[in-house]
Amino acid sequence: MEYKKVTPGISEELRKIFGDRNVLTEVEKMEPYASDEAGKQYAHMPDVVVKAENEEQIARLMELANREHIPVTPRGAGSGLAGAAVPLYGGIVLSVEKMNRILEIDEDNMVAVCEPGVVTNDLCKAVADKGLFYAGYPMSVEESYIGSNVATNAGGAKVIKYGSTRSHVLGLGCISPTGEKLVLGGKRRKETSGYSLLQLMIGSEGTLGIITNVIVNLIPPSNKTVDLLVPFANFDDAAKASSSIIRTTKVYPVTMEFMDIFSVRATTEYLNLPPLPAQDKAEAYLLFTLEGVDQDELDELAEKAGTACLEMGALDVFVASTRTESEKVWNIRISMPTALLEKWPHVLTGDVVVPRSETAEFMARTREIIKKYAKVQLEFHGHIGDGNIHSSLIDTGNRTDKEWIEFAEEAYGELCLLGSQLGGTVSGEHGIGLEKKSVLRQSLGEYPISLMRGIKKVFDPNDILNPGKIFDLK
Amino acid sequence: MKTSEGKFQGVWTLGEQRDGEISSVSYELLAWGRELADKRGTTLASVILGHNIKEKAESLVHHGADIVYVVDHPGLEHFAPDVHAAILEKLVREFMPEIFIASATTYGRTVMPVLAAKVETGLTADCTELDIDQETGLLIQTRPAIGGNVMATIKTPDHRPQMSTVRPRSKKPLAKDESRKGKIIVKEYPDELYVSKVKFIEFIKDETTALPIQEAEIIVSGGKGLKDVKNFTLVHELADLLNGSVGASRQAVDMGWIPYSHQVGLSGKTVSPRLYISAGISGAVQHIAGMSSADVVVAINNDPDAAIFKVCDFGIVGDALEILPVLIERLRERKTINVKGES
Amino acid sequence: MRIVVLVKQVPSTDKVKMDEKTGTMVRSAMEAELNPLDLYAVEEAVRVKEKIAGTEITVISMGPPNATYAIREAIAMGCDKGVLLSDKVFSGADTWATARTLSSGLEKLGQFDLIFSGERATDGETGQVGPSVAAQLDMPALTYVSKIREIGDGRIVVERAVEEGHEVVESSLPAMVSVVKEINEPRMPNLMGKIRARKTEVTVMTAQDVGLDSSKAGLTGSPTRVVKVFYPSLSRNGTIVDGKDPEKTVEKLLQFLKDKALV
Repeated sequence: MEYKKVTPGISEELRKIFGDRNVLTEVEKMEPYASDEAGKQYAHMPDVVVKAENEEQIARLMELANREHIPVTPRGAGSGLAGAAVPLYGGIVLSVEKMNRILEIDEDNMVAVCEPGVVTNDLCKAVADKGLFYAGYPMSVEESYIGSNVATNAGGAKVIKYGSTRSHVLGLGCISPTGEKLVLGGKRRKETSGYSLLQLMIGSEGTLGIITNVIVNLIPPSNKTVDLLVPFANFDDAAKASSSIIRTTKVYPVTMEFMDIFSVRATTEYLNLPPLPAQDKAEAYLLFTLEGVDQDELDELAEKAGTACLEMGALDVFVASTRTESEKVWNIRISMPTALLEKWPHVLTGDVVVPRSETAEFMARTREIIKKYAKVQLEFHGHIGDGNIHSSLIDTGNRTDKEWIEFAEEAYGELCLLGSQLGGTVSGEHGIGLEKKSVLRQSLGEYPISLMRGIKKVFDPNDILNPGKIFDLK
Repeated sequence: MKTSEGKFQGVWTLGEQRDGEISSVSYELLAWGRELADKRGTTLASVILGHNIKEKAESLVHHGADIVYVVDHPGLEHFAPDVHAAILEKLVREFMPEIFIASATTYGRTVMPVLAAKVETGLTADCTELDIDQETGLLIQTRPAIGGNVMATIKTPDHRPQMSTVRPRSKKPLAKDESRKGKIIVKEYPDELYVSKVKFIEFIKDETTALPIQEAEIIVSGGKGLKDVKNFTLVHELADLLNGSVGASRQAVDMGWIPYSHQVGLSGKTVSPRLYISAGISGAVQHIAGMSSADVVVAINNDPDAAIFKVCDFGIVGDALEILPVLIERLRERKTINVKGES
Repeated sequence: MRIVVLVKQVPSTDKVKMDEKTGTMVRSAMEAELNPLDLYAVEEAVRVKEKIAGTEITVISMGPPNATYAIREAIAMGCDKGVLLSDKVFSGADTWATARTLSSGLEKLGQFDLIFSGERATDGETGQVGPSVAAQLDMPALTYVSKIREIGDGRIVVERAVEEGHEVVESSLPAMVSVVKEINEPRMPNLMGKIRARKTEVTVMTAQDVGLDSSKAGLTGSPTRVVKVFYPSLSRNGTIVDGKDPEKTVEKLLQFLKDKALV
């Protein structure tokens, strides 16, 4: 694909649209915009970075980009794990970091309206002040933006009970790739008015439009929570327990997470924290959160689920019922991806999702598959209650970037294939970006991809907006 | 003791010593005491308990005391909470001060509650402000309450002495005046009073040269906004350049970036430096409670709505990871220039 | 050995919200928990119990009826018994009256060898109740303890974290020990502990039960009086600058610091 470069004349025009302070052209200032958390091996420098302050500027930008045939890559906090925010063909990176206002918390309709650059945690806090609750909760809640959560249909720990971001978005304001304003959905809660462009836009990873505002659903908060931290001496017991606990007890957790001993050790070491209880004896942990209306209900739920865990081979069941204890264990779980990425230069964070009943099988067979490769460490953590296990591959052989990408694609391809056989899919919540394009094609086949290409063409005839993501252009 | 039990008069401060040297907090406390005694129109006395301390007592007079009560005995060389409290009780019952204040140090915060329990009077912890009520003559004690969210004004109407501990560094000592004259009263008690249940074994001095944050003049504090432990070194660098100490928010401590002894705030340490620079700290109420009495506060945070900006004198809405390196570089340049200028 | 741990239920601090107009706590937004600094005292007590056979730990608190939750949290960690001193006449107590009430309760419960407390509560922040109880019961107050070196045979050797270092002292028992955060890493209670805690009866005692004259309890028995509570004007109305250009911003900051004679 041939695109034009950003010339000094175009930079000048961008300065007129965005103002001098919102246009970056110095290499060292643009560097952070060249990659995301997928890793530096996927980095590509843009020609210019612009920071939008309003929708109007974005519309003008897209007109200019179409006219000059320059690619535009929208970007949030850069916490993505699939390379979706990497400007693969250079051109313009459009950051929404300055569009970070919560525009309205409408208590009558129980919705919040905000700009795309609002940090999800800030939204959670602001609505909590009004006694309301935003149920979307990606693990990167403290850094990722709400707009990007929508763009990737972010999941996170609470999906098991509350669903992914898609379940919480009622409306979007967008600028189309051709610079048109698009209003999708709204504060209303029902809609059967033609194809749902709203749902199409959610999870489209910035390839169909640029989100300029988001209307999210709010619910009343639950009263109290308790976390159970459950070490298992045997990896498979932990994996199997996850689905059987829910089946046999009918206790439905808000979150149910899996952490293998490798990831727990790596994270406690990285954070310089004392080991978790039973860290010397456990092969894996389950961590789950229960919600209840009062202390008595919580105690009963914890007792029921905890007893079931012990029957299924848990070493012990630790109960974090105070804020201090709860924060301690969740800090470890939340910091896991960062710890891995900081400790090893090459990490491919897996994102396969399978039906909950198949997670144990998936993990066991994954371990078999990876055995045949040398110099790679396999690690598991993730949302086992959703069947979404992040089976990550870690390079222990000092490969070059290129060697690693090739290796990881091949090995991860096998895991995706396995996932498909078990009724799963290649990405549960991180998206496809550029990291998982080939596995998506392999797992879906040509026809669905060609439909996606067709849709892309209708929205973006010149292939200007975030080209080269999810699938290749031709 | 109840007010009805006799005539209570005079303001007392509790002096502190270590290894026969009077600690500087003793002089800070005298500055508070002088102010109160003058307002109340009464005398200021300081009490000092120790061994081989008699000769040093004069310096308490030079810093504002009218009277110094000295108890000098080998049994007082080290802090034995029971013996110190027992002797203070003797002194209080004999001389009946109206007001008795101590520093909120580990010494003051240990011996004063024990003493207050023994003489049955109130004790207000960790005051930031002391004054005399013009109408009633009562001591007005002000301290942060409920995590520094509110200030409470507390009085001790019917019990004597009115006792409080005062946050260290909340007042500068008065200038030393060697011409000041005062009375030094050396008290002696029977040997059995010095027998303690607590025996001193050894003192292990901290190796670190940096001042503990409670005593630091300059503190550079870092929080979650610094993103990881590597970036936290910027805080150390800046603190070094300014000859200050390093502080941290609870999150930074919880992340294991720095030990707990550096935590500023409600569940950490309360600090009152001349300059407090916070980087990447949003300013939870608990944190603000621990640093709001700093003279000058500089805040760097990328959230313009961060609470820390409400309590700062100079706020920068920006990324600490961009600002700190530039600031460090500029300060280094200045240092080099200064060194060159001197040579 | 008989050990007692003094605990307090405090507002879960992240939830503390103030009404700016009235300067009072917004109670609706409040959740309560066991004072986080008490966890270290509980943990240390349980460690002593694990070391010395035949040790029994009683958790005691003065507070409203629902403070039994905080007591049960401590029991779940390994304590044996819970006692809650709860009575309307206890309310409004300052540290002296609180210590008086706790001491009366402890005297009623018999002799103890060791009393543990946290450094201070995260709400009142005085740290006075532990030493005050020690004085009332005529025990030495070993405060700011960061390590127990030895314990047994009627004696204890501790390290105290004081200014400039650590002081090592030996004391006879009984003694009161208040601990600092660096002493240990509190354990997370397990399910068995939780179930046991739920089943453990927490003894609730009133002023009459402990034989305390109500003139010595609560607000009436408190030597100190809060005469005014006000919302401090923390606001400094400082200069706020946009830091998008770090070079220029740092220049401004240095100028500011120079004006204040800080650099």
